[in-house]
Amino acid sequence: MARPAVILVGADKGGVGKTTVARTLIDYFGAHQTPTRAFDTEAPRGTLKRFHPELTEVVDVTLVADQMKIFDTLGSADAKVTIIDVRAGLLSSTLQALGEIGFIESAKKGQITFAVFHILGPSIASLEEIAETARVIGDANYFLVKNFINNTTFFEWDPSTYNSYFKKIKGADEITIPKLNEMAYEQVEVSSVPFVSFVGNKGAKGEAANNSFVLRGYVRHWLGNVWSEYDRVKLVDIVSPKVESNVRQVAG
Amino acid sequence: MSFRNSVTIIASPRPRVGKTLLARLVTDFHRQESRLVAAFDLNLGERTLTQFLPEYATIATVRDIGGQMALFDRLVADDGSTKVIDLGHESFESFFALAHQIGFVEEARRRSIAVAILFIVTPDQTSVEAYRKLRDRFAQATLAPVHNEMLGPAQHRDKYPLASGGQVVMRIPALAPGLRKYIETPPFSFADSNMGNAVGIPLDIHIELQRWLRRIYLEFRELDLRILLADLQASMRFGS
Repeated sequence: MARPAVILVGADKGGVGKTTVARTLIDYFGAHQTPTRAFDTEAPRGTLKRFHPELTEVVDVTLVADQMKIFDTLGSADAKVTIIDVRAGLLSSTLQALGEIGFIESAKKGQITFAVFHILGPSIASLEEIAETARVIGDANYFLVKNFINNTTFFEWDPSTYNSYFKKIKGADEITIPKLNEMAYEQVEVSSVPFVSFVGNKGAKGEAANNSFVLRGYVRHWLGNVWSEYDRVKLVDIVSPKVESNVRQVAG
Repeated sequence: MSFRNSVTIIASPRPRVGKTLLARLVTDFHRQESRLVAAFDLNLGERTLTQFLPEYATIATVRDIGGQMALFDRLVADDGSTKVIDLGHESFESFFALAHQIGFVEEARRRSIAVAILFIVTPDQTSVEAYRKLRDRFAQATLAPVHNEMLGPAQHRDKYPLASGGQVVMRIPALAPGLRKYIETPPFSFADSNMGNAVGIPLDIHIELQRWLRRIYLEFRELDLRILLADLQASMRFGS
């Protein structure tokens, strides 16, 4: 049976674009025909659920019952990939909880594929988070995500300071989310549909929409660049390693 | 797809090579063929196209998102009109960069709208390089080099390779300087049977202008055939 994969999308600050990144991930796996489910931890009202209502469940990750809903079903769920959009400020505590329930240990043993998308904020405090998060996650695939979607002058860090932190993290990879035209971004927000639906000029129920061709073009171009980043880090291979390699191993 | 349902972009990265004249000719050609036509004036300075075609030309811009939406959403709209763009040299780069980014030619093709780029050729390296880039970027469009004979004899055809074997260089024949003053003073329309409001135009000049115009319109009809041919070739190449 295929190994389940869990992707945690989080940051210790709000407003850095966690849900936007989670949405691009759901679209990306959808495009790769990888069955995916998502948990939105912004209980009781989830932004991610607004865009992907059929795939998303709103949970309170601090409650044991909801932790069971996510992690006890990893092996039995139809979805191969589980994306958890962690509410602002809960990344560290969520990782701590994962450690306590033995999840991180399972990932270390290779029973579960675990990846963390750490969305970075503009301040030096975010760099402190990197070290803190890296300490907790063990052997997980760790991605530091610079999200430029809303602001071109977002990162004003001293590059040498950033690099000194970045190099401390063994195996960490960097992902850059480029800027998207503000009006295009706002229009997708108003439409409350996945990015791919907006590009395809579809409404929430798959009906034909009347979105601007120009704005759709901007979103398509941007989404293509984001997906190129995911391709670059071989995200599909990470969550579903090629069967051929297992076959080769078995064949000796 | 054909010239009837098309977006024709008159382009050159150089100023004063006859873009607006060609845009006027294409627009009036469509009018004379009884087609609905909408022209877009993307020049920053004098609004010459708008002066000659006040009922048909709209001032457009790609400098801000509002202008981009107003222009490109209209270009792909199924409103029964054929479109002509007089692309000023100042907007050349930004227009084509945006068109490439948002997939304009592909979207137009999906909607059965032909895109023709009439590129006025000049011997400078900037133009040669811009033409090469257009060929690379817009393989699904009909890219036609245009030699404006009023700029002088052609010495640079080999610098502008044709996109396919069926294509030829389009020509705007030279017009005697004495005749040009009649067509360069608004109001003037090639589509009017009496050549617009050029009242008092001598009969011999009128005949000469008609002869010149017939040669150009013949070039446009050949362009129509080339678009059909390009469409056929693209269908075979892209399987659509």
